[in-house]
Amino acid sequence: MTKRRVSRKKQQTKRFLPRLLLKLFLAATVAVAIWCVFIDIKIRRDFEALQWSLPARIYARPVELYAGAQLNIADLSDTLQRLGYRRSSNISGPGEYSAGDSRVRLWTRGFDFWDGEEPSIYVDVNFLGRRIDSLRGDQNTGELALVRLEPVEIAQINPDTGEDRLPLTLNDVPPDLLNAVVAVEDHRFYSHFGIDPIGIMRAFVTNLRAGGIVQGGSTLTQQLVKNLYLTQDRTFRRKVEEALMALSLEIHFSKDEILAAYMNEVFLGQEGSRAIHGFALAAEHYFGRPLMELPLEDLALLAGLPRGASYYHPRRNPQRAVERRNVVLSQMVNQGYITQAQFDQARARPLQVAERPAQRGSGYPAFMELVRADLARDYDADALQTEGLRIFTTLDLRVQNTMETALNDAVAAVEVPASPGSPAGDALEAAMVITDASTGEVRALAGSRRSGYTGFNRAMRASRPIGSLVKPAVMLTALETGRYTLASVLKDEPVTIPLNNRDTWTPRNYDNQMYGDVYLFDALQRSMNLATVDLGMEIGVPNVINTLRKLGFDGPVQPYPSVLLGSVNMTPLQVAGMYQTLASNGFRSPLRAVEAVTTGSGERLARYGIGSEQVADPTSMFQLEWAMQGVFERGTARAMLNRLDRRLPLAGKTGTTNDLRDSWFAGYGGDLVGVVWLGHDDNRETGLTGSSGALRVWTDIMNRVEIQPRQNIAPADVSWQRVSAQATRNESARDCRSPLMLPLREGQSAAPSVNCESGDSVIERIFDRLRNL
Amino acid sequence: MMLRVSVLLSLSALSACATYSPQAPVSTSTPAVVTESAPVATSAPVITSPEPIRVEPAPRPTTPAPETIPQRRTEPATPASTLLASVDEAMAAGDLERAAALSERALRISPRDAYLWYRLANIRYVQRQYSEAEGFARRALSFAGNDRALTQQINQLLTQLAAAN
Repeated sequence: MTKRRVSRKKQQTKRFLPRLLLKLFLAATVAVAIWCVFIDIKIRRDFEALQWSLPARIYARPVELYAGAQLNIADLSDTLQRLGYRRSSNISGPGEYSAGDSRVRLWTRGFDFWDGEEPSIYVDVNFLGRRIDSLRGDQNTGELALVRLEPVEIAQINPDTGEDRLPLTLNDVPPDLLNAVVAVEDHRFYSHFGIDPIGIMRAFVTNLRAGGIVQGGSTLTQQLVKNLYLTQDRTFRRKVEEALMALSLEIHFSKDEILAAYMNEVFLGQEGSRAIHGFALAAEHYFGRPLMELPLEDLALLAGLPRGASYYHPRRNPQRAVERRNVVLSQMVNQGYITQAQFDQARARPLQVAERPAQRGSGYPAFMELVRADLARDYDADALQTEGLRIFTTLDLRVQNTMETALNDAVAAVEVPASPGSPAGDALEAAMVITDASTGEVRALAGSRRSGYTGFNRAMRASRPIGSLVKPAVMLTALETGRYTLASVLKDEPVTIPLNNRDTWTPRNYDNQMYGDVYLFDALQRSMNLATVDLGMEIGVPNVINTLRKLGFDGPVQPYPSVLLGSVNMTPLQVAGMYQTLASNGFRSPLRAVEAVTTGSGERLARYGIGSEQVADPTSMFQLEWAMQGVFERGTARAMLNRLDRRLPLAGKTGTTNDLRDSWFAGYGGDLVGVVWLGHDDNRETGLTGSSGALRVWTDIMNRVEIQPRQNIAPADVSWQRVSAQATRNESARDCRSPLMLPLREGQSAAPSVNCESGDSVIERIFDRLRNL
Repeated sequence: MMLRVSVLLSLSALSACATYSPQAPVSTSTPAVVTESAPVATSAPVITSPEPIRVEPAPRPTTPAPETIPQRRTEPATPASTLLASVDEAMAAGDLERAAALSERALRISPRDAYLWYRLANIRYVQRQYSEAEGFARRALSFAGNDRALTQQINQLLTQLAAAN
């Protein structure tokens, strides 16, 4: 019984084993099939939705060429070099230029701007001194009125992966590059089905003959899969999975689609935390030029990089890079893609990589912080890191670079050395803002005296008392009431003002002098504290604060009388916003750092246009302007008169705070507004007034950026009137022997004690009429 | 000494009121022209073009707009005149924001050109951005100087803006 059972068991086992194997086999087959289907679905889904995270690219304001433009040969050459233009005596295509003594010839590349497409065009730029004299095109285009260069890319906002690429379509890829890649990486690409057994054998043989690895066995399709699902895993299972994925890709997608994805995906270098992917970006990275402009030898070099981007790095390992390039070239000639002559010529060329990668990311950190702050209102971080947006900023590279280059030395020139014995603290710091005087566009920003400094951005974050910079707002408030004129006589006398908390406030003049009776304009020009307080208390502190608001300041202000002397904290950027309104004659245009945002293909998403709101009447503004031009001519900035001679008239105001902790100057010409702040981060004394510190730095920088003179038209109701040279409230002291001529509002006249208008001779009246024309 | 100071002062005063000179040779405007094809004060502002560009009313219905826009001379071509031609094209194509962008581009080159500010005011008016339009119109007025035709146009726009608000 037992035996039988045993034998039956044996019999059962004999039958059971094949069945089990069969079942296992079937199960395995099903599992593999499910695996295959899973892989197939996955690769189809992933590849169809293949969308790379593209960093936002930030551009400086494009350079405009036109007759009369304020631009010299050095400025233009610098811009062209930043754009990667190649210097050539014979200009044959886009991206080339030549520079002579008084002319620059160039062929622009064209660009899709938010306001339309700028065509690629040949232009011959003639200079006269520091300006453009004329623009000529070729025979077809003739005289040109206006040409806009491509914008220089100054930074980008990278995704967290650090991957960066410039996506391209297959049409954007030079045929030589496609051929080179196919020749060296996978020359049976167009005939295999994703994996290439013959290719593997051939590579094996080729490598044996060459005595090293010159050709790989995996197809471009396999390499693409490897790149897309990047993993360090090198197991057999992984290999099989890759092969299956490659097969799946080939079944569902065309060769062109696969090749295009490869051209964009492939890893071609590392620069810090930024990974260079795709050939288009690699061309910019290694050669500083667009892919389409590269000659055969450079394309061959790029085609050799996928094998080992670090090993063949053209800057770090130039010898290996050239050897690799020549291997690529020889594969091309062997496979008939190029002629022997092309091969010989390209092979003989020396390696010509760009000296350093185009400046990105860390270029202008202070300005970039402002750009990010502006963008944060409309775009979240994810959109900026992934959607490949193009951000067009208002940064003027000529102004920014000039300022950055000169700022440190300019600050050093005014810095007061620490007195012996006292502990030496941090060096004097600085911030500077330069904006367009009529549009409010920020042209340049420095958050420190040091160029490229990435730390504390003082232009945006150092909020300091503005001192006498507030005085124009006090004067403007007075002029706008209609009860005051430039000739109003103020009392520059000691005063004690009771405060709400039973305390009192006793302001003093900076030099502890008292000037007695002074004109309103004089109080501003020579920055008299007592006269300003006299005026401000009459017109009311709340009204002055209201003027600050109208001029564009939106920060906190305590309504104390000390506001009249500038005990209100502002950042240099806020000061620039306020003085911007003065510079544009009472039209407030909020400061902007971003002009437009487009998609990667140039479609306009947003545009941030000029704002313009009239916040002060033109006649008051004209009077204020006249007084502020006098700051340079006879006021606190007159020491700079000689240095600024040919740039006058300019308008501006010095600012100094208690114990010389902050040294300010804010001034403007016809084209630009500049604000300079000097101080210590720990709020120590600087030993500098606005005049001895910030004004000198301002003058140095604004001279270099060639600030233009003010141009003002007198409104129709301005009447020029004579007043006595000396301000007085005593009518019997009136002295009209050598009167001053001031712009007053028609219908207003100076007080009898200073009015010199009565008793005009006929000739004087006629002369007066002429003057008013 | 006093005399010298006062002469200096009056000279600087004179220079302050006499230094206006347009940066670009573009500030001349001639009386307005109304094209025959344009509808009479119904939908869009009438745009007259110096060159034979096809002018059509903007497709979007808008509030009644200024009937005429002053024309200016176009010889020789300047940055502003070139850009104004593009402004006209953009207006004709109904892309008002592009027209505004182009006007601003011209203003960056000639910031004291009253006509350019006026064009921008006009575009904002058509876009029904009345407070911006007023800001630009007032700035145009401040630069218009002795140009009576332009001053009249600007004042007309300001009147319309006051009515629209």
